[in-house]
Amino acid sequence: MKTFGRLLAAATVFATGLGLASQASAQADDYPTKRVTIIVPYSAGGATDVLARQVAQGLTEKWGETVTVENRPGAGATLGTAQAARARPDGYTLFMGQVSSHGIAPAVYANLQYKAKEDFEPIVWITEIPNVMVVPEASKATTVQEFMDQAKGKNVSFGSSGTGSSIHLSGEMFKARTGLDMTHVPYRGSGEAVPALVSGNIDVMFDNLPSAMPQIKAGTIRALAVTSAERDPSLPDVPTLGESGIAELEGFEAKSWFGLLAPAGTDAAIIEKVNASVNEVISGETFQSYAMNNGATVVGGSPEKFEEFIDAELDKWAKVVADAGVRVE
Amino acid sequence: MMENIGLGLSLFFTLQNFVAIGIGVMIGVVIGSIPGLTATMAVALALPFTFSLPPVTGILLLVGIYKGGIFGGSISAILIRAPGTPAAACTTLDGYPMARRGEAGKALQMALYASCIADVISNLALIFLAGTIASFALEFGPPEYFWLIAFSLTIVISISGSSLTKGIISGLLGVLLSTVGLDLVYGTQRLTFDNFNLMGGISYIPLLIGLFAIPEVVEFYVQRASPLNVSSSDKSRVSWAEFKRCLPTIVRGSFIGVALGSVPGIGATAASFLSYGEARRNSKTPETFGRGEIKGVAAAESGNNGVAGATLIPLLALGIPGDVVTAVILGAFMLQGLTPGPLMFQDNIDLIYALFCGMIVASIFLFGSGLFAIRYFARITDVPRHILIPLVLMFCVFGSYAVQNQMFDVLIMLCFGILGFLMARIGMSTPPLLIGFILGPLFEDNLRRSYLIANDASVFVRSPICWFFIAATALSLFIGLRKEFQSARAARERAAAA
Repeated sequence: MKTFGRLLAAATVFATGLGLASQASAQADDYPTKRVTIIVPYSAGGATDVLARQVAQGLTEKWGETVTVENRPGAGATLGTAQAARARPDGYTLFMGQVSSHGIAPAVYANLQYKAKEDFEPIVWITEIPNVMVVPEASKATTVQEFMDQAKGKNVSFGSSGTGSSIHLSGEMFKARTGLDMTHVPYRGSGEAVPALVSGNIDVMFDNLPSAMPQIKAGTIRALAVTSAERDPSLPDVPTLGESGIAELEGFEAKSWFGLLAPAGTDAAIIEKVNASVNEVISGETFQSYAMNNGATVVGGSPEKFEEFIDAELDKWAKVVADAGVRVE
Repeated sequence: MMENIGLGLSLFFTLQNFVAIGIGVMIGVVIGSIPGLTATMAVALALPFTFSLPPVTGILLLVGIYKGGIFGGSISAILIRAPGTPAAACTTLDGYPMARRGEAGKALQMALYASCIADVISNLALIFLAGTIASFALEFGPPEYFWLIAFSLTIVISISGSSLTKGIISGLLGVLLSTVGLDLVYGTQRLTFDNFNLMGGISYIPLLIGLFAIPEVVEFYVQRASPLNVSSSDKSRVSWAEFKRCLPTIVRGSFIGVALGSVPGIGATAASFLSYGEARRNSKTPETFGRGEIKGVAAAESGNNGVAGATLIPLLALGIPGDVVTAVILGAFMLQGLTPGPLMFQDNIDLIYALFCGMIVASIFLFGSGLFAIRYFARITDVPRHILIPLVLMFCVFGSYAVQNQMFDVLIMLCFGILGFLMARIGMSTPPLLIGFILGPLFEDNLRRSYLIANDASVFVRSPICWFFIAATALSLFIGLRKEFQSARAARERAAAA
């Protein structure tokens, strides 16, 4: 009787499991059957938002179900990220992650309301953008070496779009490696910082390439180097920091990136499906031309590739933050 | 030159451009008039639609929405005391008392005239002086900004209402509240009480709605009074004499708008208050301001619409977005593969001229759709108060929630509603709180940035612009305070004599 009971229990568990599994696969097969929301932790109109809307439009056309973008800005992207982490993991709430939420913030903020790794399932890495080291037109430096020579023994100010941004931490990374005496001058967004650079109120900045591009083209600021491992196709004559011939800067890499994630516990089959769909959307002509116009490189690939990358980013920024001492309690 | 203008005209005169401007302005007016849905948000949401449009059409659509939105904000500010966009907060000061007096139609009309005239002046400044103004705007570094903000803060004197002391306390409270959130330089938490929702600071729009609209709602239920004596008999119109009386105020407001609009980062809200403060200071009867003075509406609306064209100056001439709206418009340019800035004047001059044409047409369309909108919106005052007030409350909740889709913001709105009500009860004016809240962070940021770039107090007197604003601040303080003391003494003497 006992054995029978156990058998029955096992059978029930198995059947339930089977039922759940079939339900799950049915979910993934049908997915999506209703509106899907992508949470963007920045306000409408910013780089992350525009990218998310591009992806949402592509997915809507592909799936025949509406994919909408919901903006949850605040507290340097951490507010919206925390909310996405708590969303129901049913595949109908996705999250547009980026270098702040899944790279820098976990290192900078001590009391973060989400766990970058445990609370999320990576889906797909979408694009990356290099940062670029820029100086005002009036600056005498035309190469990184000249900049270093002129800055030695002086205090140099570097601007950023805000404390804890990739622009700020690229500067901190440069400062830590070169040992120059540099003061961080934060602004609220690149839009405020770039004019300060153009007019020479700040000496240097490691801006995101797209927001610096109009000024570089106009010649009001000069690009000395890009912070990516390889040169950027939109600025083929500008070397990387690694190529600048300064030993301390070898292997220097800091970039902004974007990718789609889901709350932890989302069905693997759904993740696969979203991954495949997004990969198709971003290899399409519309997205490619959007990316080119915005100075972004399209990446794509598997969820595993994205996960490995996030791990590496978390490690890298933790080290930069520890070296620079910019942790916030 | 002529050839380029011709090219620009041929690029502009297509049916779809006119349709885009018309639709844009109308969308803007409607969205702007709904509290919580701002012009900025409307422009951002319309951005994806421009992907598939030709560059000129797409950008004119956005410009139309922006201009319409800035005016639209005044509609709800006047009718229900809930500013539809932050820039319209100042319009409530005299617009709403006018509506309560039964002159909603007149107030709306004046708001429209002031908006359109300011819009045209702002466009002309953009077309003829963009290069000159833009290079001047670049002279503003942190110390220059610091003094400009210090000067702007002196308008607290003009908008303090009956008691200067209470006004200053209100302003300081605003500054204090603006410090909530993450510190700019160190990222440390300030006054957040470990509440995660406060890390991003107190949201601006819920504060605005709570402070201005909610006290009216509470007042209605507390007093059970029905002070709005308006019906469809509201045939009030702006007379030619009134228009002539307001014209200097409008022109001055427009120039203030152009000046503040062309310096990145200040914005339309500050411009409207500065214009209002100047109008009151230049008035022979300053005591009528805040009690339904039509010049107050003219000043506020010319100030904020004067910004609309001018914010495009740094964008087109330098490729620098001065605020969120122009950042979105910059995004639209970039998506089309165009780069605003000096190079655009060389490579795409036809496009620039086409845009200029479009902006002038947008001003005309704004006038047309404004007249149309006023006629219907003014009827809102016909709705019985016991039905209207709950609807207003609903819009307040909706508007506060819509900004970031967060219930916490609704809570913030209610808290500020109660605060606003209590302040009204003790005769403390709320606009200084708003000014403190908006300008406080700019004041602090630029003070700290000045020290960061120079590490020496002498940076604050480094340029003629600094000296100019130091003198202006001192003068404004002296004149403003003297006037307040004089009128206080006069009031005391009157009381003693009686």
